[in-house]
Amino acid sequence: MKYRNEHLRDALAAEYALGTLQGRARRRFERSLKGDPRLRELVARWQGRLAPLDALVEPVQPPARVWRGIQYQLESGAGRRGWWAFRTNLGLWRALAIVSTAAAVTLAVLLTALSPTRRTPETMVVVMAGADANPGMTVSWPMHQKGEPKLRIRVFGHPEMPSGTAWELWMLPGGEQKPVSLGLIGTEPTQELTVPQALAPMIDRVWGLAMSVEPSGGSPTGQPTGPVLYKGQCTRL
Amino acid sequence: MADTDVIAELMARCALRDQRAFAELYRRTSAKLYGVAIRILRREDWAEEVLQESFVNIWNHIVEYSAVRSAPMTWMTAIVRNRALDWLRRPNLERGDEDYDLLVESLPDDAAGPDIALGQSRDAVALAECLKQLNGTQRQTIMLAYAHGLSHGELAQHLKQPLGTVKTWIRRGLERLKGCMDGRA
Repeated sequence: MKYRNEHLRDALAAEYALGTLQGRARRRFERSLKGDPRLRELVARWQGRLAPLDALVEPVQPPARVWRGIQYQLESGAGRRGWWAFRTNLGLWRALAIVSTAAAVTLAVLLTALSPTRRTPETMVVVMAGADANPGMTVSWPMHQKGEPKLRIRVFGHPEMPSGTAWELWMLPGGEQKPVSLGLIGTEPTQELTVPQALAPMIDRVWGLAMSVEPSGGSPTGQPTGPVLYKGQCTRL
Repeated sequence: MADTDVIAELMARCALRDQRAFAELYRRTSAKLYGVAIRILRREDWAEEVLQESFVNIWNHIVEYSAVRSAPMTWMTAIVRNRALDWLRRPNLERGDEDYDLLVESLPDDAAGPDIALGQSRDAVALAECLKQLNGTQRQTIMLAYAHGLSHGELAQHLKQPLGTVKTWIRRGLERLKGCMDGRA
């Protein structure tokens, strides 16, 4: 079910946040929310408008068994993603990418503080955002790979790729150095790209990555010629 | 660091699967969220269940948090509210009804003035000011619905008004609220 009328959409978002949208209408609305970020945004705004009313709620200490129950549920695997599992999944990087600046600094400190205790292989992660600062793709790879490193690419910005154009991925070595092409990528949500042997020694040391729109077949000049859709800096984890 | 920042930081650490951060997040927020659940469900055993499910949910979905641009407490409260509302709408479940009439009576009425103490933050002042602009019935209905998770039907029953009237109060009230708050932003 699509709610096309903008006025109606906002009215439904309001009643959803208020709690008066109930029964079948509520479930139908929740189904629409899944595929409609703009509708989720309307709901989030209404939740924000009404949130100060929560000040009227008297805090009540829950009994200790609630926390034990939560721990039990997470340990027994009801926590879908595992209690301990560290996942380099899309949502996480999205989450990390959008935290406010203050929180981002905290996070950077935190990541540094956490890393010595984690013995998993180091991973490089690049959250690449568009001009609107919203992340559109991520690239990650295990560091110190032998041979030809493989990059895992996730595209979730869903931009269109007009025919006759291609997406080219670039290493940004940093400083004054020019971008170096890693090759063309597609629009699929999950992809893998093998780094040519010659570039392998560089990949773990680049400053960041960028993706530009080029004529099909790739940039004719060896340098980005079209607009850069997404760009981001490497983070070592 | 303000409380919101502490909670935001704890959530970022939870996204990295830091259990100690999660325990701390629970310690800091559970009483408030339990209060939210109790107000809607009006039964402690249900509220406990809902709180537990909500925190499991929060842990599982915390990586999605920042995709919405809301304050951390608003996001967590929304999870608890939605869980509680879902809980109430399970078939064959009836909340004790008799308390509602008391509830309605205990709501601040206009004789006492429409001032509502929501706090000093900009959003809180804006909401309190804008609630004042509504007429008494609109304000009461909206506050009652939000606080206790009442459906249109329940509101109509307890306010002793036709369903259509209650729906209109809410719809117009929300529209005016939005107009007023957006005008202040």
